[in-house]
Amino acid sequence: MIHIHRLERYWMIVIGIVMGGFMAALVASVLVYGVRLPTPVGRVDPTHLEKTDVATPGLTQDSEHAYTLRVVAQMWRYDFGIKGQMPKITLQHGSSLKIVATSKDVTHGFYVEQHNVNMMLVPGQISEMDVVFNKPGIYHIICHEYCGPGHQNMVAIIEVL
Amino acid sequence: MQAARKLPAQNQALVFPKVGLLSSEQWLVGSHIITALVALAIGIFLGPFQLFRRAPMLKLQIPVFSYYYQALTVHGVINALFFTTFFIVGFSYFVVQRSLQRPIWRPNLAWVAYGLMLVGLLMVLYTLITNQANVLYTFYPSMIASPFFYLGLVLLVIGTWVVTAILFMTYYAWRKEHAGEHVPLAVFATLSNYTMWCVATIGVAIEILFMLLPISLGLIHTTDPQTARALFWFFGHPLVYFWLIPAYISWYTMLPKQTDSKLFSDPLARVAFIILLIFSIPVGVHHMYVDPGVSMVMKSIQGIFTFAVAIPSLLTAFNIAAVLERAGRKRGATTMIDWMWKQDWGNPVVAAQLVGMLMFVVGGITGIINASLTLNVALHNTSWIPAHFHMTLAGAVTMTFIGILYWLLPMIRGRALFSTKVALWQIYTWFIGMLIFGYTYGEAGILGVPRRTDLGSASYVNAEAVPYLNAAVIGGVLLLISGILLFVNVIGTLFFSKAPVTGDAPIDTHVVSNSPMFLERWGFWLIVVLVLVVVAWGPVFLETVNFTSGFNVHGYKPDAPIPFP
Repeated sequence: MIHIHRLERYWMIVIGIVMGGFMAALVASVLVYGVRLPTPVGRVDPTHLEKTDVATPGLTQDSEHAYTLRVVAQMWRYDFGIKGQMPKITLQHGSSLKIVATSKDVTHGFYVEQHNVNMMLVPGQISEMDVVFNKPGIYHIICHEYCGPGHQNMVAIIEVL
Repeated sequence: MQAARKLPAQNQALVFPKVGLLSSEQWLVGSHIITALVALAIGIFLGPFQLFRRAPMLKLQIPVFSYYYQALTVHGVINALFFTTFFIVGFSYFVVQRSLQRPIWRPNLAWVAYGLMLVGLLMVLYTLITNQANVLYTFYPSMIASPFFYLGLVLLVIGTWVVTAILFMTYYAWRKEHAGEHVPLAVFATLSNYTMWCVATIGVAIEILFMLLPISLGLIHTTDPQTARALFWFFGHPLVYFWLIPAYISWYTMLPKQTDSKLFSDPLARVAFIILLIFSIPVGVHHMYVDPGVSMVMKSIQGIFTFAVAIPSLLTAFNIAAVLERAGRKRGATTMIDWMWKQDWGNPVVAAQLVGMLMFVVGGITGIINASLTLNVALHNTSWIPAHFHMTLAGAVTMTFIGILYWLLPMIRGRALFSTKVALWQIYTWFIGMLIFGYTYGEAGILGVPRRTDLGSASYVNAEAVPYLNAAVIGGVLLLISGILLFVNVIGTLFFSKAPVTGDAPIDTHVVSNSPMFLERWGFWLIVVLVLVVVAWGPVFLETVNFTSGFNVHGYKPDAPIPFP
């Protein structure tokens, strides 16, 4: 077999410990701190969104502190059911928000600044994420995937009171 | 092709001991390297201008390419796909011929491969310049480019498959005459790289041939973006190792000669290359951590494999640090750490590789951060990502390629490097410029500035990030200067250098290795790779492919929200 020098062996042990530590931190981030990633929740036919969950984009209040935001991303704006280039929704702080989003044309991004929402909006797929807004402020939603010449103007706002 | 001009008297030091192939070698390797440099000249300068465009205090229009995303596509496609591939293929021919001391198998076929890749480059360039392919270098559908863009990429890939056949046939011809001997490490690494490449390119070949090309030609009208993303990243991550391994070849097999040192462990190096071969491909999902169509299970599995693929780089760090320690001791280092700075910083060939390694330390650490799936949520598609991969691709890889260029170009031309001083200025301006870019864009990314976005005309830019975006301009200026200095030296060496070339190619021809021979069973490793690919990628495609309604997303040209055609 391969002859391994003593120093090499020590180095390999160090690598093992470091990588193991990183791995443990990852597991903790999911199990202890509850960080979530988008996972498959369903498909849609982007040519017939009117028959789906996101047929009527916009904010709905489900209970006192729970909202659902349905979003259809398109070249080059987020459709919240609100007119204008930079649509804005308003929430009370401490509210939980369920985001249900998709794209009706090309791949878009859905990134909430200063928060932990980061999703790709891929045509044909539903992206879903539950988040809580505890801190009041203005949160910008930014499209972070190139979607054509108007990409840089694809911004929306969540205002938390 | 300038390398094709009449060459001066052949330098004896360059002649093969067994085969006098010098002139044809200079033509073949030279054509690849010069083509790579032409591609780099087109792509490189658009980098700094993106920083100028994205800085709120400047918002400078990019010259020639007034459309930001067109310039960005040219920068990515021409630098990352064409410059790298041409350079790597030319370098591979040189390394294999010199190491095995025999001409490559069927040199005429090598010219066919070169022709395919060149036509591919011209087709892609044509579509980019005429605004028919503003789709960035990831060309995700349902955004659709001109069919010539995809055809050009297909030709590039087919060219590299021919190159693989040539390299392997050369190796088997050598193997027949050298049963039981170890192949030189440089060739070992080259073969493992092309094996990995051939498996990886299957993904992008399927994506282009069955999805992108048919829809761009109007043969079909729908596509599946999620599956296309998976096919792209099946290819897209091994692609970065395809770039990196030639740099490792230089570090492992050439740097010891260039620094008057010795490789610490040849077997450890071979093991590192085999681990790279095995784990390069089943990791691509880490580019899709926030995609909706892939499950947490598959994201976690490929995330763990991504950590595994960091191991060969950590082994490399050990092995190369040992080489450098020995080199530093020879230069008078006595304490535990002073060998780190007692290096040959005044020799451009060595210095370029050293700064490449320093940037790779940053690139490696940020890479492990990206691979950590829950940290990735904070960083995916922010400017942190280009900051990271410019430490690897524009740091470790390109700086090492430039280090190689500084001895290889003189050899191809038969004249000494035009100016050592210019070369050193080029290296250090690049190093500092790229570190400034990396730091500022990393910080901006943490604050949430998106990547690949024309901030110069954006409706919103985070005010906190503005100082960083402005400071990046300093890096951009340094990088612009560095790019100019690079081409001053290239043109100077090709046309104006008078001094004869000195020194030999830093190539090992006979091998002292106590590594086990099973490491060279390429057929076996190919099977291992394929099995792992099926295990790691099979379920991903089962998740992404829509078995009930197939392709159901229309194609779109980037400039209009109207289905295409």
